[in-house]
Amino acid sequence: MYMKENLITMKRLFFLALLSLTFACGDDEQPGGGNEPVDNFDRQEMLFNWADNFIIPGYTALAEKTNTLKEAGASFSETPDATNYTNLVSAWEDAYLHFQDVSMFEIGKAEELRLTNNLNIYPTDVDALNNNVLEGDYNLELPSQIATQGFPALDYLLFGIADGQDALIEFYQTDANADAYLQYLKALTLRIDSLIQAVLADWTDTYRDEFVNNTGNAATASVDKLVNDYIFYYERHLRAGKIGIPAGVFSGSALPQNVEGLYSKDKSKALLNRALDAVQAFFNGTHTTGNSNTESLKSYLDYLEIQKDGQNLSTIINNQFEAARTTASELDDNFSTQVENDNTKMLATYDQLQLNVVPLKVDMLQAFNINVDFVDADGD
Amino acid sequence: MQKAFLYLLILSCFFTACDDDDNMVVIDTPATYAFERDGSSTVSFSGQTTRIQMGEALISALKDFGESKERLLEMYANETADGSDANPFEDAALNASTKSIRSKVAASADYFAANTVDAARIKGDFTQWIEAQVDEVFPNQNELAEAGKAGQIADGTSVRYINASGLEYNQAVNKGLIGALMLDQMLNNYLSPAVLDAGENLANNDAGITEDEKAYTSMEHKWDEAYGYLYGTASDSANPNATLGADDSFLNKYLSRVEDDADFAGIATTVYDAFKKGRAAIVAGAYDIRDEQADIIREKLSEVIAIRAVYYLQQAKLAFENGSTGSAFHDLSEGYGFIYSLQFTRRPGSNTPYFTLEDVDNFIANLMDDGPNGFWDVEASTLDAIAETIAAEFDFTVAQAKE
Repeated sequence: MYMKENLITMKRLFFLALLSLTFACGDDEQPGGGNEPVDNFDRQEMLFNWADNFIIPGYTALAEKTNTLKEAGASFSETPDATNYTNLVSAWEDAYLHFQDVSMFEIGKAEELRLTNNLNIYPTDVDALNNNVLEGDYNLELPSQIATQGFPALDYLLFGIADGQDALIEFYQTDANADAYLQYLKALTLRIDSLIQAVLADWTDTYRDEFVNNTGNAATASVDKLVNDYIFYYERHLRAGKIGIPAGVFSGSALPQNVEGLYSKDKSKALLNRALDAVQAFFNGTHTTGNSNTESLKSYLDYLEIQKDGQNLSTIINNQFEAARTTASELDDNFSTQVENDNTKMLATYDQLQLNVVPLKVDMLQAFNINVDFVDADGD
Repeated sequence: MQKAFLYLLILSCFFTACDDDDNMVVIDTPATYAFERDGSSTVSFSGQTTRIQMGEALISALKDFGESKERLLEMYANETADGSDANPFEDAALNASTKSIRSKVAASADYFAANTVDAARIKGDFTQWIEAQVDEVFPNQNELAEAGKAGQIADGTSVRYINASGLEYNQAVNKGLIGALMLDQMLNNYLSPAVLDAGENLANNDAGITEDEKAYTSMEHKWDEAYGYLYGTASDSANPNATLGADDSFLNKYLSRVEDDADFAGIATTVYDAFKKGRAAIVAGAYDIRDEQADIIREKLSEVIAIRAVYYLQQAKLAFENGSTGSAFHDLSEGYGFIYSLQFTRRPGSNTPYFTLEDVDNFIANLMDDGPNGFWDVEASTLDAIAETIAAEFDFTVAQAKE
């Protein structure tokens, strides 16, 4: 018996020795090999491009939409008729789509206000929402209220509270609590707009200069922080939130009620595609503002000549975005139906999105010498 | 060059592996933690399973704003304020039990048998945290927390409920129990010769005399009771590493967390193997080997507490840098409990913890006194200083523990 134990120990040590050999050899396969060029890339040019051609134009466009949403919310709560309903739905959809363009920029005021958590947490907690409406005594600034507000809560109020447009309008005209619901709906549109206006104002007043001048390569530098926010958004909100969670990747069983746009039914895919376009455009630095700056994550990788398996890393990443888009094109407009009828396509889309996590989060961050600043939560 | 080094390494492994052969005692260590006498299992630790379950019920109830102070305190003591029988648990089996959390908090033979002053103070700390949760945090359920004011704070999509200094009392209780209940009972009570060898235990174990109507000797049972505080809620308690981390919210969970850090991979196997070999040594009557294994367990599990304390201090620093105040406070609240638990650690080969009650009081005072509002004012340099001081007494660095 004693010898047996020694044998096991011996095997374990041998395994450890082998393991250390593996590690010793691992380094040679890093992208860029041993002769990486000195990193003289002009990070500030990239920051100019991000701030002036993506972030500020993105919030400016969104702020116009949320202003329209606020006005449509006021009109509908004043006169809940079919015309005002149609206007409100269209304003909501427009703003929700534009929100996909900026949700990845959770930095500065947006970070302080926890913008994405306040505007796009789904599924909505319908019981808590009803409780807010009927009690009338709620504080939407409380962290415990993130699932009772934002675009998903409006999705419920505009599509889920009754079945079909006629029944909905009738509800808001005749229900005993109609006025309380209308006031709540109006309060939600007001809050969405005020949060967005606050973020935009901060960018245009002071934060833009602070952002573009914080050019270093440290945990607190603009590039390091925004790239982390970008990858966090891609992993948690796009890959997991829009696809992985409803497909049951993290829970074992599918959760069709957890899709984005649950009640409007036909918006999930449009929201995903918009988000996918936004993250890829940001990666490539391609914009439509007419300004001349174009430096981007892609041009930075190309400047450093980062390759993987004999291919430019930037090409690998772009190809993978395309692969995800192609797979997602097979999905139904309504992801809830997709999960229930053929979840395999949801899982396949998740897989394609997942395949870009290592190139973005490991290979790219290593090339830029950026540390990941977020970790998986403890779960308690 | 690299190859030559590898051969040397392998060669040296062979030599190391063969060193032990001088030992004369044959220890029959089984593949899993399963021991039998005359066809019956001799392994038993139901009392430990019960206390872990009571702990789970308590930490869950601390986050339920409908709970009364009276019921929470009854969950802690499993009796009413005047000492009569209480039924605070949902689970009837827990209500029927005569055991309680409080009776085994700071209650080890080695540390507290002749130190009832500290034991009473520590038992009282938990009472105070439970009462403060109801008195300070519950009334502010729907208030935004700010410096000096209890209430809610966001931690990502989670909501944390903190006191005026930023502390989550439920975390202090949860992580504090890992030291005051689990670790203290294991390292300083059931793995101690003072308990293992008490009364006639040595002679009875040598002669194979079992307890009345039981299949186990007293010494075997004591060792199992130590085992039960770590693995007592495992779905397969003979092979608990298969589900390590999923079985409780206490030591099992955090041994798993440390195991998941590549710097410490293997620690779970080391602890489990030491439990098995020590138990097999008791069967073989090899008490020196038993005590060697106890020392391995003491060293490794003490390390788990210290690694997690350092980890949370460093995570909090990172979260502050990222502007995530709520995440930082949550890390500090968990860290607070692990720091508190340091006083129940045990230096192998000694009768002393790595840090005393007084050391722990000082750490916590430092953590809280950079300004008037505790965590709201704490400085990164304070977090680093405490982390460095802790790591310096152990065989790991702050850098190894921090991720």
